[in-house]
Amino acid sequence: MADASVESQSSAMSPSLWFEKGFGLAFPFIVALVVAAVILLVIGENPIDIFSLMAKESFGSERRIAATLSAATPLLFTAVATAICFRTGVFNVGVEGAFVVGGIAAAFIGFSLPAGMGFAIILCAFAFAALVGAIWLYIPGVLLAKLQVDEVVSTLMLNFVAFGVTGYLVNGPLLSEVSGNNVTPPVHEAAELTRLMPPSTLHAGFIVGILVVIAYAVWTRRTPTGFSAAMVGYSQRFSRAVGISVPASIILVMVLSGVVAGFGGASHALGQLHRFSDGFSPGYGFTGMAVALLGRNSAIGIVLGAILFGALASAGTTIQLFSNIPLDLVNIIQGTVMIFAVVEIGRLRLLTRRAAP
Amino acid sequence: MAEAATARADATVRLGARNISKSYGPVRANRDISLSVAPGEIHAIVGENGAGKSTLMRILQGMEHPDSGAIIVDDQEVRFSQPQQALETGIGMVHQEFMLAPDLTLLENLVLGDEPVSLAAGPLSRIDWAQALQSGEELAKKTGVTVDWRRRAGGTPVHIQQTVEIIRLLRRGTRILILDEPTAVLAPQQVEDLFVLLRNLRDAGTTILFISHKLKEVVALADRVTVIRRGEVSHSANVAETDSDTIARYIVGGNDTSLIETGRASRSGTGDGEVVLNVAGLEAPSLEKSHPLHDVSLSVRKGEIVGLAAVSGNGQDELVECLVGLRSASKGRVELLGGNVTHATNGERRRKGIAYISADRRHEGLATLAPVEDNVVAGSHDRPPIGKGMFLSLKQKRRVATERLASVDVRYGRLSDPVSSLSGGNQQRLVFAREIASDPKVMVVSQPTRGVDLNGIAAIHNLLLQFRDDGGSVLLVSEELEELLYLCDRIVVMAAGRIVGEAPVKGTDIAEIGRMMVIQGHADG
Repeated sequence: MADASVESQSSAMSPSLWFEKGFGLAFPFIVALVVAAVILLVIGENPIDIFSLMAKESFGSERRIAATLSAATPLLFTAVATAICFRTGVFNVGVEGAFVVGGIAAAFIGFSLPAGMGFAIILCAFAFAALVGAIWLYIPGVLLAKLQVDEVVSTLMLNFVAFGVTGYLVNGPLLSEVSGNNVTPPVHEAAELTRLMPPSTLHAGFIVGILVVIAYAVWTRRTPTGFSAAMVGYSQRFSRAVGISVPASIILVMVLSGVVAGFGGASHALGQLHRFSDGFSPGYGFTGMAVALLGRNSAIGIVLGAILFGALASAGTTIQLFSNIPLDLVNIIQGTVMIFAVVEIGRLRLLTRRAAP
Repeated sequence: MAEAATARADATVRLGARNISKSYGPVRANRDISLSVAPGEIHAIVGENGAGKSTLMRILQGMEHPDSGAIIVDDQEVRFSQPQQALETGIGMVHQEFMLAPDLTLLENLVLGDEPVSLAAGPLSRIDWAQALQSGEELAKKTGVTVDWRRRAGGTPVHIQQTVEIIRLLRRGTRILILDEPTAVLAPQQVEDLFVLLRNLRDAGTTILFISHKLKEVVALADRVTVIRRGEVSHSANVAETDSDTIARYIVGGNDTSLIETGRASRSGTGDGEVVLNVAGLEAPSLEKSHPLHDVSLSVRKGEIVGLAAVSGNGQDELVECLVGLRSASKGRVELLGGNVTHATNGERRRKGIAYISADRRHEGLATLAPVEDNVVAGSHDRPPIGKGMFLSLKQKRRVATERLASVDVRYGRLSDPVSSLSGGNQQRLVFAREIASDPKVMVVSQPTRGVDLNGIAAIHNLLLQFRDDGGSVLLVSEELEELLYLCDRIVVMAAGRIVGEAPVKGTDIAEIGRMMVIQGHADG
């Protein structure tokens, strides 16, 4: 039917398509808010009051906004690292591990290079973290590309290896002699990322994160390798048949994912904690996965998603102080959003398939 | 005309459409379509894939609502808000894929959803199988067929399933029968039987509307024919007053009709040019349900089209994959322009001048969910003018895509639409646009016109001939022998993974090649 007669030939999106996309992004949040509202009603709270309190706690003042952006910072990195792989059809769940090893690599550089090097320490720390992250994910990338080893299993397991190795390092060779257990010595003051809005913890890593998102957007649309990776994501058979090297694309996206995750770890170590400690990441890699899914792997979607999840996190930490609401409510909202982000994608795919002749 | 079985013998239009229009977004599937089918008439609807036939049928059945216009039944305007109403009015459709439940018997299928019961309603009611059988037998007798009602539907040959489907609709009171390409699944003798059955039904007063691609059948069976082209009625006539040439012209829009007839394309190639593609002693393991390759040798010269004729699953897919670098041969050599490419990847072979049209358009020829634009530039995206060093020019990408699509007249909505929104013919043209644009020396083409409408077939044939006339070489794998005879300079026959014969096209008839394909194949296992 499709070739009967076609009027418009423009490549711009129609308003209805924009609406559809916007709704796709908002839908999981609407459902999550409804679920949260029901829970609040059951435990005898007024959902409107709680939601407005949460909104105030995350965006109500300059300080609260800074806290939200600070919480969003690591998510920018982990979401981009995830999206790079997801859009290529590589289900990499090892961003968490790469983030952690990148963090310890950056912290190590941050305290072991001579303090006199100044700003160069930061550059070295980011470079080393990227290298370690890249190598970390290169391994499952090669295993997948050359030997068809399932990447979900290999990257998931590598996360535990990452926790184990870093746990050993912070309790052994890299253990701080002055502070208690499970932490490295603090990085030099010169290696700390600038605080953007003191006294909030928002630091220059946020700007680096935004730059990474922009670089990601450029890579996806305006580079041949980004195009190849997208084609591999659509169909590996098709890609092979038009001369795109599928193994090369897979290895490349895993390495890029490792670089970005490593940057994220460096940003968190140098900007937020100023050292590496056991329990360095409370699951930033996995929350980043939710952000990537929710944002449909798009740059704008990732920024919005990261800020929204950042808002939930920053509101959650203070909301307990002002109400009887347990922190778990925030976790429930996050979980519901993640479920419906995935559901929605499944539904859209199904619709597109049905539309095919 | 016998009208005994129908409610209103005096109606002049049993089923009709008045100025029906229907759009899907920017696509106008039906435009101002009017149609009238007289009682007791066999009416054929013909048109290309994507012309709008299916939309019209869905509207007549109440599965879609027209944007404007009306459906006419027995001279009265009717409105169906759901398919059930059309069925109650007496309109029934036999789909291309039969709707029988495979695990039930034919008798159970016959009464499914409308079972005769022995006792009045209530928990004690039982299905009256005797009455069910009796009604089935009566209808079978009336239509002149015999059916073993106890067979499971799934284990019944397709033509019997089709008959049961028709009887099932008759039992539910269908007096207007719509058939969607009923002969597509049938063998020639079964087509004859179906035609006898349909004529019997017509003579008993049933009105029949059937969709077909095959003009021979339309002329043989129909009383009247309506041609739909690009969503509009382009022609409507009594079959007695028209002929297949005329109908064909209206289907493709008055274009060159010579390509619809089987004939020999004019050829310039002399067959003594340099060897462009050479295969020697090739062996390869088999794909699923197929044959491994045994000692395959063949060559394609500059400026010729070599056909490869084989029954599906006789090694042609393996050979094609070995040629384009998607599968590695266990033994033997593949040479491209004199260079050994036996172990080269697909990308390396493409850079040397090979292009590939896959038989599996949906999974290999295209990324169906990716945009039209990306599909038509994929493979050229990493070199100038699109790829410039580390970056890719969106402007050049759009320009190249638009040019390529225009060069073979692909009709599409927007560059950002998924390729799955195009019709089969347009999809295949898009594939050709991409492959020819890389300026290849040799094209390996597999089943290029599968699932493509008449107009699209003509366009694709012209592309291949033009490519050959410009000095290109083609290895053409096809199951359509008429296509091979029309396009090729010589034909190589393959059976059971071996080359079993070669024939020049001149002086060879289809039967001879068919014999080689089938008999040699069986002899070898």
